[in-house]
Amino acid sequence: MIDISRVQKELQDCEKDRDSSGIRVCPKSDNLTRLTGTIPGPIGTPYEGGTFQIDITIPEGYPFEPPKMQFSTKVWHPNISSQSGAICLDVLKDQWSPALTLKTALVSVQALLSAPEPKDPQDAVVAEQYMKNYQVFVSTARYWTQTFAKNSSLEDKVKRLVEMGFGDAQVRSAIESSGGDENLALEKLCSG
Amino acid sequence: MESGEEDGYYYTSDQESLDGLDHDQSNLQPLSSTVNSAKVITKESLLAAQREDLRRVMELLSLKEHHARTLLIHHRWDVEKLFAVLVEKGKDFLFSRAGLTLVQDHPTFSPSSMMSCDICVDDVAGHLMTRMDCGHCFCNNCWARHFAVMINEGKSKRIRCMAYKCNAICDEDVVRSLVSKTQPDLAHKFDRFLIESYVEDNKMVKWCPSTPHCGNAIRVEDDELCEVECSCGFQFCFSCSYQAHSPCSCSMWELWRKKCHDESETVNWITVHTKPCPKCYKPVEKNGGCNLVTCLCGQSFCWLCGEATGRDHTWSSISGHSCGRYQEDKEKQLERAKRDLYRYMHYHNRYKAHIDSSKLEDRLSDTILEKVSILERRQLQLKDFSWVTNGLHRLFRSRRVLSYSYPFAFYMFGEELFKDEMSAEEREIKQNLFEDQQQQLEANVEKLSQFLEEPFDQFADDKVVQIRIQVINLSVAVDTLCKKMYECIENDLLGSLQLGIHNIAPYRSNGIERASNFISSREAAGEKRQPPNSGWNSEDTSCSSRKRPRREGVYRNNQTTLLDLNLPADVIERK
Repeated sequence: MIDISRVQKELQDCEKDRDSSGIRVCPKSDNLTRLTGTIPGPIGTPYEGGTFQIDITIPEGYPFEPPKMQFSTKVWHPNISSQSGAICLDVLKDQWSPALTLKTALVSVQALLSAPEPKDPQDAVVAEQYMKNYQVFVSTARYWTQTFAKNSSLEDKVKRLVEMGFGDAQVRSAIESSGGDENLALEKLCSG
Repeated sequence: MESGEEDGYYYTSDQESLDGLDHDQSNLQPLSSTVNSAKVITKESLLAAQREDLRRVMELLSLKEHHARTLLIHHRWDVEKLFAVLVEKGKDFLFSRAGLTLVQDHPTFSPSSMMSCDICVDDVAGHLMTRMDCGHCFCNNCWARHFAVMINEGKSKRIRCMAYKCNAICDEDVVRSLVSKTQPDLAHKFDRFLIESYVEDNKMVKWCPSTPHCGNAIRVEDDELCEVECSCGFQFCFSCSYQAHSPCSCSMWELWRKKCHDESETVNWITVHTKPCPKCYKPVEKNGGCNLVTCLCGQSFCWLCGEATGRDHTWSSISGHSCGRYQEDKEKQLERAKRDLYRYMHYHNRYKAHIDSSKLEDRLSDTILEKVSILERRQLQLKDFSWVTNGLHRLFRSRRVLSYSYPFAFYMFGEELFKDEMSAEEREIKQNLFEDQQQQLEANVEKLSQFLEEPFDQFADDKVVQIRIQVINLSVAVDTLCKKMYECIENDLLGSLQLGIHNIAPYRSNGIERASNFISSREAAGEKRQPPNSGWNSEDTSCSSRKRPRREGVYRNNQTTLLDLNLPADVIERK
């Protein structure tokens, strides 16, 4: 049994200072078990300017068990899986405390973006690049932010896909049928 | 050389020297200081057993019982270590590390006023809130749900406060009272976890590994490297909790066991999907996340190589692990596999043969004892038949040594463990030395078995006397040979190794130590005036004159078992 009132209260609190924090939490379903969190990429990092979406699942035992969080926006970071978006963060595991909230957890995730922990990696490839070739890491992370975490206009998306060699009409219909998701549209175009 | 040595063991048929024999036999008992005094702790005495440790800590630090328990759980019931920390680092350090906070003066709140609980964000009346010793205050409902989650996750022993980054361990009385209001079952579970911590977290206490579980635990005093027998009759190695396996070392036995069960699906699954925790050795399944895995017992380890790590395990040290490097040529491996298989079959067949023999002999023990009662009814010159039971026991004991000597030899002289430890010549010399001893032991064990199987109950007086001499002589010879084999293994074979830690439980002539029932000091004091409880066959020994009263508080298991030895009292005393 989920403590609905607490989750609702958390959503209200989060909404109150969304302008100052930039962090948002929106319900995906009516029963408040699945939510979407949004965090801005921290300024002064390769993630600056991006907006990152995080899938949140509220477990039965919330807030006595930690919420499950996973990036749905692709991100290049040593502690976040570049494949699945899984996050390696202690407060989401054994350091969780019922006194924490979805917002504080998202703040921790945001802090993780500014301060990677390559010594405790989730994604070994990214971590190795971070350790051995920091400059390449920064440019890859920035490129991923540009590509996946930017809300670009429809015309920008069309332009980019047309540049790849697809027809204008074909591109527009693909974008429309994938709900504006550029990557999904690209997949559709490629699979014909 | 062989016959010369044998002459040394054998005695003439002269009656005087035979009487002297029993005394000599007692001198063969190991006199080393490693003799343990193991105790059986039953479900009923589990609480009493930990009381002594709790009381020591409570008295020294003037603490309540649950605070003492928190400290002891944190220090894995090692009272000496706990006291050492106290002396070196002081009381505050000791307490804060264990998450123990003693009540300070926190602002009191009126029970009728409404307060807000930070967890459920509801307003709750003051009397429905609880403040922990650390000062954090939340509503009873939230505390109870937090406790329930922790207990169900198996974290009963260290339930931390709900506040973020608060290291304090919740007061067990609060946990118990809040949980039992809504979920009495869970409160019982919590209590059981706390009480069983004395076994689970204590390196000197282990559950008897019998299946189905007899419910007992065994506590040893100083040496963890020993073999014990639980009051349920199960004999096991205290170090690794598997059946007694000396002279095989624990790691050899572990390898051998796995090798023998290779085909089992479960074992396959476990090897593929789990890794043993380097601290508590329980298989851990990785359920996602990074390669830094934390076992329920609190130990972190590297999933890639299975080595223990601290919290500060670094990525660079993961990439430094040699576990990622492929070391051998596949071709060569295949070729070797075939040779290895034949080698394994050789040792396994012999190991199995002795295990099978011992099973057959086990069944024979009833008929042999039947023969004794027939002899007793006949009016023979000879009145004492303890040599039969002694011989039988010696047979069982040495069969077991023989069977486990094969897996030992498999690993000792194989390439798996000590490839770089010995040169080929050295290995050959050592192998010959060992195999000679093994062979001698084998021959004598078979002879002993043969004599005990003879229908001596039908024999005439003089022939019975002859059999008796043979059995007694062979018993002594076999005992000496077993002892020599252990010494050879300990000193000449394992003792000279540089790498790896292979230790074997010491040989005990009188068999694996049978743990005695735990009696708390209070109970023992009450029993002082009662006569010592003696074993079932203490009457008809040839050395009753040597018996002395047993130590107080240690009383023998009164179980009627076939294999009890007629030990002189001083041996029991030394235990």
